[in-house]
Amino acid sequence: MSKTIRAVLDAIYFGGGVLAALCLIAILVLIVLQMLARWTGEVFPGAPDYAGYAMAAASFLAFAHALNRGAHIRVSILLNNVPASVRRYIEIWCFAVGTALAWYFVYYAVKFVYFSWKFNDVSQGPDASPMWIPQLPMVVGAFILAIALTDNLVSLFTNRVHRIQNSVVEQSHGE
Amino acid sequence: MENLSVIVLFLFVLFLLLGTGVWVGLALLGVAYVGMELFTTRPTGDAMLTIVWSASSSWTLTALPLFIWMGEILYRTRLSEDMFRGLAPWLRSLPGGLIHTNIVGCTIFAAVSGSSAATLTTVGKMSIPELRRREYPEKMVIGTLAGAATLGLMIPPSLTLIVYGVTINESITKLFIAGILPGLVLAAMFMAYVAIYAKISKNYNPNPEPPMTFGERLANSRFLIPVICLILVVIGSMYLGYATATEAAAFGVIGALVLAATQGSLTFKTFTQSLMGATRTSAMIALILAGAAFLSLAMGFTGLPKGLATLIADMELTRFELLMVLLVFYIILGCFLDGISSVVLTMAVVEPMVRQAGIDIIWFGIFIVVVVEMAQITPPIGFNLFVLQGMTNHEMTFIARAAIPMFLIMVLMVFVLIFFPEIATWLPENMRAQPG
Repeated sequence: MSKTIRAVLDAIYFGGGVLAALCLIAILVLIVLQMLARWTGEVFPGAPDYAGYAMAAASFLAFAHALNRGAHIRVSILLNNVPASVRRYIEIWCFAVGTALAWYFVYYAVKFVYFSWKFNDVSQGPDASPMWIPQLPMVVGAFILAIALTDNLVSLFTNRVHRIQNSVVEQSHGE
Repeated sequence: MENLSVIVLFLFVLFLLLGTGVWVGLALLGVAYVGMELFTTRPTGDAMLTIVWSASSSWTLTALPLFIWMGEILYRTRLSEDMFRGLAPWLRSLPGGLIHTNIVGCTIFAAVSGSSAATLTTVGKMSIPELRRREYPEKMVIGTLAGAATLGLMIPPSLTLIVYGVTINESITKLFIAGILPGLVLAAMFMAYVAIYAKISKNYNPNPEPPMTFGERLANSRFLIPVICLILVVIGSMYLGYATATEAAAFGVIGALVLAATQGSLTFKTFTQSLMGATRTSAMIALILAGAAFLSLAMGFTGLPKGLATLIADMELTRFELLMVLLVFYIILGCFLDGISSVVLTMAVVEPMVRQAGIDIIWFGIFIVVVVEMAQITPPIGFNLFVLQGMTNHEMTFIARAAIPMFLIMVLMVFVLIFFPEIATWLPENMRAQPG
């Protein structure tokens, strides 16, 4: 694979992570603004909804970045206890399943958002946002994850290895 | 449960995907997909999107990344050194000496971090070399650290409790408050064990500490005061009803940032590191929760939860017997799955069972956290064992063996909880109502 494509892909994964991080900051800001509003007797209608949308965006946009850093939890007992040659086949299986599921999700996510947009679906909450806007990052994030999984699956075939760091420390931070 | 063979097939897919190492979140999505295809004629993909969207964009969930972020910020401060220096002068004269810094340190850090592994790293970074230098028995140093760090899961904020609350749709604030007393009781039990061990064992001859005046002690622990204040603000605001869990988390992040800034450990680098670390960890949990939301929808169609609940009801198990069955079940599950995954994976089935038996669901959250804590230190995959292995270069088996007494104390804690349920239920029942 040419160096440019590699660089572009890596930039996309990392860029998703950075956007997700900005959404995390947005959550913080929204919640602080809502609290300030409450204390000063003002109302900030829809703040919880916006925070929820930012939450979804923060999660989905970071999926691929988290995958590459080995942050997603998996049961690795089997993987760690088989010879390297067998391990590669199991990895291929894992990435194949993951890739298939991710693209399946992307397909329906596109459909989901398309219908939100087509039928002018509006939030039931006080924010009354057109739903396709906050739903869009979900599609984008799922799409990036699907690309990342495909990327690694291809790499398993061509270079015999995937490009994910194995990091129990990253995984352990969830609990 | 009419078609048993289909259920068996469904469970087989579940074990196959999880066992071969498909990422837990994606594996749950896959299992749910199979379940939907097997048990209902509903359009699977559309149902998946509707439920995943509503699960991922929930307001309750926003507490999760914020509490993770708060922990990540403090994890990168000087807190580790301050903790040991501040606690040692006060704990030195207890029987068992400075080993108690492990336990008290973990208890304090657990109150600002929802993660057991982060608690372990922060406290252990300083206490392991310091305790070794004073020739404390290695087994005690490692064992107490592995055990006490699991308090990170119980003492609020707790990521496991957030996940539990989101999964069963219960108040996270209530769960947090419920975790306080059991966490302190468990810490006290660990400390009691250390004290007794120190009295009985002949190999417990650490170097004596030089004398220190009261003023010096105070001077050494002044750095701990900001952390204590932060804990009081975060937990107090929830308990007194001034803030929801999410709002308390926002206080926590800001407080942590201020604390890091005044210490001089807040640079652009540590800020972005903490932010990106929090983003990844929260994404990891969000993927599991998304998969779990879809799975619990699919589970509903399999009839498995209802079937098992009736089965249990027909067997006329007493509450105690049911809890014992669940205890054994979760300990075994914990050998293969991490805590968060085992909670989300089983709650769809276990929740109806537990409610049917008339068990308080908040109390059950604490019960499950103790059990998940055990999983944290049981081989082959206990996270704390891995983290400690990385920190000390000991064999996994040595660490696991050193942690066995702590494991037994946690088993004891389960029985304490069963016979004195008020430890978990009294505080949440007496807290002030939440705003809006």
